[in-house]
Amino acid sequence: MELTEELKTKMIEVLNLEEMTPADIDENAPLFGDEGLGLDSIDVLELIVLLERNYGIKIADPKQGKEIFASVRTMADYVAANRTK
Amino acid sequence: MIIRKIGENILSPISFTTEENLAAVMAGRSALRRYDSLWGLPFPCFASLIPDDLLESAFESDVEKGRLLMDSYTKFEKVVLLSAVKALDSCKIDATSERVVFILSSTKGNVGLLADENPDVERVTPAHTARMVARYFGNPNMPITVSNACISGLCAQIEAFRCLRSGQYDTAVVIGADVLSPFIVAGFQSLKALSDEQCRPFSANRKGLNLGEAAATVVYTVDDAAEDGWRMLAGAVRNDANHISGPSRTGEGSYRALCSVLDDSGLTADDLACLNVHGTSTLYNDEMESIAINRAGLSGVPVNAMKGYFGHTLGAAGILETLLTMRALENGKVPATRGFDELGVSMPVQVSAEHLDTGKKAFVKLLSGFGGCNAAAAFVKV
Amino acid sequence: METMVTHRVKLTPECLEVDGQRVAEAVAGESFLMQLYRKYGMGYPKFFKMDVLCRVGFIASELLLAAEGGERFVPRADRAVILFNRNTSLHADRSFQATIADAEDFYPSPSVFVYTLPNIVTGEIAIRNKYHGESEFILLPEKSETAMNQAVERALMDKETTSVLAGWVEALSEEEYEAEMELVSS
Repeated sequence: MELTEELKTKMIEVLNLEEMTPADIDENAPLFGDEGLGLDSIDVLELIVLLERNYGIKIADPKQGKEIFASVRTMADYVAANRTK
Repeated sequence: MIIRKIGENILSPISFTTEENLAAVMAGRSALRRYDSLWGLPFPCFASLIPDDLLESAFESDVEKGRLLMDSYTKFEKVVLLSAVKALDSCKIDATSERVVFILSSTKGNVGLLADENPDVERVTPAHTARMVARYFGNPNMPITVSNACISGLCAQIEAFRCLRSGQYDTAVVIGADVLSPFIVAGFQSLKALSDEQCRPFSANRKGLNLGEAAATVVYTVDDAAEDGWRMLAGAVRNDANHISGPSRTGEGSYRALCSVLDDSGLTADDLACLNVHGTSTLYNDEMESIAINRAGLSGVPVNAMKGYFGHTLGAAGILETLLTMRALENGKVPATRGFDELGVSMPVQVSAEHLDTGKKAFVKLLSGFGGCNAAAAFVKV
Repeated sequence: METMVTHRVKLTPECLEVDGQRVAEAVAGESFLMQLYRKYGMGYPKFFKMDVLCRVGFIASELLLAAEGGERFVPRADRAVILFNRNTSLHADRSFQATIADAEDFYPSPSVFVYTLPNIVTGEIAIRNKYHGESEFILLPEKSETAMNQAVERALMDKETTSVLAGWVEALSEEEYEAEMELVSS
């Protein structure tokens, strides 16, 4: 599976985006704020766990997450460049 | 109607008496220390833990064996019972009276039991512990347990205040306690709320909170003939209605709670020796409190936080911090905010790393917690 | 103190009663809570993030407030939310414990941990309805109408509080829960 699709599937699962399918998530749309998915601060922390658990990427400072988690696309680029598993 | 404090105890890693805990605060001492891998957890933390051996020997010597109804007691149950025993030793009340109510404040009680292979789930809830304590003292009433996150210790005192003001009871024994476990430490770590260094309330370089274990008990009674002593004047609980874990950017609930207790108590900024705040040392809490304090017109009042001595003691915090503030003010001091260095919040607040002299005998206690809840209460010594 | 119960809701895994009338029954398929969420078109995506205690409390409160009618979601501070149970947030506690039980797969979940406090359900209701009044969760060793009524009367001693959304909300699992909620006015 393409990394962006894989991330969308995992996000739907860990963030309990119950009524969404991967096709509903635009990989370039903002994940936070009123547009796009509208994720919150707890979701950022859960995404950090997702990256660590699945790809061996450690993010110590949640503030760093702002850029990484801007969209599914930016997240996929970060994972591709930094994954250790 | 006068609601007066008649008994108390603070049980912390520093000491099991209020006097010695106060002495430690005035001497700037703390039991907070760094643990590289507490209970084998895969991260360092800075915490304050009650030594098991000291607790065990105090429990053995101070608790009457003949009254115990269970075969064994968890650390949580021991600190709750021991603090209540010591507080009731400090005042003469008939705890078997139907005019006395027991109120417990705890966030997580015996949650550590869930790590057992076959956990005794009946015993996890603090309501179970509250009933155990009431039965130990032969009290006939159903105990009230407040579990309202980090503001529980103030909520429990506010419940006591109302129980007495309504005439339902004459005396309330209010116990607050929490002990740490991998559950609680890993949970706060997952929220990236912990600092692995000494916590620094309101400081620019604050990195997060330290957790601490404690139990504290205060006994209030209706005493319209009281000529002196500490009185509880007012209390309020308000919600941010914003987010379950993120503090309000406008300090909404804390602001509203502060306004309510100032209005109810008739106290003004000039009357207050200090505002004893939550001051967890997380970025968002301290920032939020600075906004609420300013909105409530209290930016000129000395602000202090106790987390640098004891860590965040969760369900005990509201009672422990209230009692220590009372005792320090009796000695004419506003305790220093241990760990504070350079102010790092957006609104002006009068935080000090040194003890301040004061002649005033009134203060407001403020707390906030997950679930968007906030509480404030006002006290005065006559 | 004179108080008046204006509306009541009772929710179990089998049926829903509003003001004493049975208005919905569970049918085979997805959970009754999901059936009610869809049937009443609640449209609140945060619902899916909630643990079971919050879901039960949320659904019951939505139906109670629908029965009350009137304008909703206007900020107000005159209504308290006071809920009770015996077993605190036990279901979320066990879920979080499961995320830390294995040292080899140790990934404590922040989104599960935030629900390991029983008062989060009072916060969820306050957020949904923009209630800035008192919110509190009280644990009782057993369900007691007397103890709950006394706590509601105490809450009404706050001079800004004129009504209380109160009730028993216990949720041990998706299949084992009970909510009895009412609106009480002074």
